[in-house]
Amino acid sequence: MSELSELYQQVILDHNKKPRNFQKLEGANRVSEGFNPLCGDQLTVYMLMDEGLVRELSFVGTGCAISKAAASMMTQAVKGKTREEAQVLFDEFHRMVTGELDVEGEPNRLGRLKIFAGVRDYPARVKCASLPWHTMHAALEGEESVTTENLGPDLTQSAIVE
Amino acid sequence: MLAFVIDEVHPHDVGTILDQEGIAIRAGHHCAQPVMQHFGVPATARASFAFYNTKEEVDQLIAAVQKVIEVFA
Repeated sequence: MSELSELYQQVILDHNKKPRNFQKLEGANRVSEGFNPLCGDQLTVYMLMDEGLVRELSFVGTGCAISKAAASMMTQAVKGKTREEAQVLFDEFHRMVTGELDVEGEPNRLGRLKIFAGVRDYPARVKCASLPWHTMHAALEGEESVTTENLGPDLTQSAIVE
Repeated sequence: MLAFVIDEVHPHDVGTILDQEGIAIRAGHHCAQPVMQHFGVPATARASFAFYNTKEEVDQLIAAVQKVIEVFA
């Protein structure tokens, strides 16, 4: 059970049960939808971007414990960050869950998000953890394009909302 | 064949924990999204039995499902 408890840690179970920032955000100027058709995970990320800062970040959606906890902790981690800092967290998180970043051996800014390192040992679950991040990333990138665009092989679409 | 859901636990989480207990099931849409919509569930877990499965293995499945409920309690 040691491997299992590494994936389903108390913090993850808690965020699954009581997701933070789990609401539609009135006044959001970026809205992105993430969808994994293979498993049915679906979420919408709401972002208020102001002068290069992620002022507010929230989400709604359905998914497994891993995806819900990843989305919940992501909103906490990214809120208040600059676009560049959010980009760094996205890159590091993605490299962690795909096994490219050794969070214990290499410098990183993941902090509490390191709790998701165990996901790399469950290849079938990597997309559960990364879907919210891909969706948030699409919202971040949204400024460069005012059209709805397909930003991933199978994951996200984003749009600017006026 | 037995498709099932556990309250408040997503079938993919059920699948991962049962896998750890040595039990292989399928979890997801089973290529039947309209049925999922009909029952109002995001997905289901599904155990299939074959001629070589034993009663003991069914007991293991039940014990593993109890474990899932414990983890998510």
